[in-house]
Amino acid sequence: MRDVWIAAAAMTRFGRRSESLEDLMADAALEALREADRQPDALVVTAMAPEEFVGEGNLASHIGTYLGLSHVPGLRVETATSSGAAALYAGLALIASGFHNHVLVVGGEKMTHVSTPRVSEIISRVIDPHERSYGATMPALAGMVARAALAKGLFTEMDMARVAVKNHAHGARNPYAHFQRTVTLEEVMSSRLIADPLRLQHCCPISDGAAAVVLTSDPTGLKLAGMGQGSDYLAIRYRSSLTGFRATQDAARAAFKMAGFGPERVQVAEIHDAFAPFEILALEDTGLFPPGTATRAIQNGELTLEGRLPVNPSGGLNARGHALAATGLAQVVELVWQLTGRAVGRQVKATVGLAHSIGGMATNNWVTLVEQVA
Amino acid sequence: METIAGSRCPDCGWVVAPPARICPRHPVEMTPVEISGYGLVLSYTTLTVAPEGFKPPLHIAVVELPGGARIFCHGRQTRQLKIGRRVAIEQVDGIFYFASLGIADRVSMFWKRRGAAPERTREAVKSAVKRFFSGYKNDGTTPPAENGEEKDPRPTEKR
Repeated sequence: MRDVWIAAAAMTRFGRRSESLEDLMADAALEALREADRQPDALVVTAMAPEEFVGEGNLASHIGTYLGLSHVPGLRVETATSSGAAALYAGLALIASGFHNHVLVVGGEKMTHVSTPRVSEIISRVIDPHERSYGATMPALAGMVARAALAKGLFTEMDMARVAVKNHAHGARNPYAHFQRTVTLEEVMSSRLIADPLRLQHCCPISDGAAAVVLTSDPTGLKLAGMGQGSDYLAIRYRSSLTGFRATQDAARAAFKMAGFGPERVQVAEIHDAFAPFEILALEDTGLFPPGTATRAIQNGELTLEGRLPVNPSGGLNARGHALAATGLAQVVELVWQLTGRAVGRQVKATVGLAHSIGGMATNNWVTLVEQVA
Repeated sequence: METIAGSRCPDCGWVVAPPARICPRHPVEMTPVEISGYGLVLSYTTLTVAPEGFKPPLHIAVVELPGGARIFCHGRQTRQLKIGRRVAIEQVDGIFYFASLGIADRVSMFWKRRGAAPERTREAVKSAVKRFFSGYKNDGTTPPAENGEEKDPRPTEKR
C-alpha cells in the first residue's frame, strides 16, 4: 500500500450562503487545485442529499462537468453526515491502491434555502424507519443519548454548556465559521429547549458550505497517516449502549493501527460535536481521554486553544457549522491549516491532528489522522 | 395487557420489535414472537421542534420490553418519567404509546386520526374497556392525564 499525502486543502466560509451548491463546491475545489499545482487524475464528489435539497443527481458527472473535469473519472460517495470523511477515504484508497496518483476530493451541501422543518425531515431519513416513524429526528436521538448519559452521571448539563461556550469562543476567531461570536454559560443554559435536555446552543446550525482536499502519491510533508471507519446498527434501539458509540471506537482503533502510533501523539483534534455532549463522548470513544476523564479536562480548560489538547479550534460543528457532506473535509482542512501554521487567529502548536466524523446517529463514523512529517 | 409483535433469531435468540425479517446480528431469518406490552424506560425526550408531519411538543421514549427488545413510543407527556421506570405500552392503530391514557385522551386521539369517525369512536371505547378489564394496575408512577392541555402529537396529515 502506498503512502498518501495531502497536497492542498481549501474551504468556503460556512453559514447562510447565497451561492449555489455548484459554486460553493467550485470555490473550494478551484482554490485547492491552485494550491496543489497538480492536475487530478480522479475526482471524488460528495453531497449528502442534493436530490432533496437542490434537485440535482448524477453528482460526480454534474460537478465534474461544472469544474471542467468531465474527462477525469469521478465517483460520488455518501455515508450520511460523515460523507466528507468517506469521500476522503475513497480518495485515499484510490491512491494507496496505485489506481490513481492525484485525487481531488470535494464535498458540499446547500440547504439554508429550505425551511427548517423540511431540512429536519430530510436529514431524519438517515434514521431507522421505526424510530423515524415516531418523529425521531437527529436532535431527538441525541437528546435521548444525552439524557441517558446524564442519568449515568457521565457529565452534567453544565459540562454540555461548557463545550458550547468553548467552541463558540474558538469559532469567534475563525473567519470561516458560521457563528463568529462568543456565548456565555448562562446564554447556553437558558437557550430554548430543542430536544430535552438539549438546548438550541448545544446544537449545530444548518449551514451551507463546501470543502476540498487534494491527495497525492507525491510526498508533500503532510501525511494522511491513518484513517479508520467504524459502523453500527442503523437503529439505536438495537445497541447495547446509548452512551458510547461503537462506530467511533472501531474507527479510532483502525486509524491508529494504520498510522502506527497511539492517541498520546495527537496534539489537536476536530471532533463531530453536532450536539455538544457528543464531543465529551467522542473524546473518550477515540481514546484521546481515558473513560471518565474528559469532563475534568473540559472543566480545567485543557481543550481550549491555549490548553493541553485543543479540541475544535475551528469552532467545531457547534460554531464553524455543519454543512453535512462538507463537514468531514472541513475538519481536515482545519487540521492542515493548524499543522502548517495557517490557522490565523486561532493557531495552535501541533504536528499530529485527529478528525472525528459521525455519520447518521453514529452508524458510519470515521477517524482521520494527519501528520506533519519533518 | 397488550401483546407486541416481535421476532426472534433461531440462532442467537435475540428478540427485536417491530419484527425484522433478518436478525440484525447476522444474516439469519427470524421467526415471529409475541411480547408482553410493558417495559422499562431506557431514555426519553420531548421535541419542541418537530419534523414535518408532527406537532410539537412531541414526547418520545425508548422502552425495553421483557426479553430485551426495545421499541420507540409516544406519550402525552414526560413529566415524572424517569429512566428505569416501568411503563405499560398500548397500541393504537399500530402506534405504541407509553403509560396510561385517559378515556377522553383516547377518544380525541382516535378522532384526530384519519378514518371514519364512528369506527374510531368504537375502537377507542373498545380499547378503554379492554384496559379496564385487563387487570392492568396503575402503579402510581403515571401522572393523571390532563385533558385538553396538550395537543395530539401524531401527524395531522399523512406524508
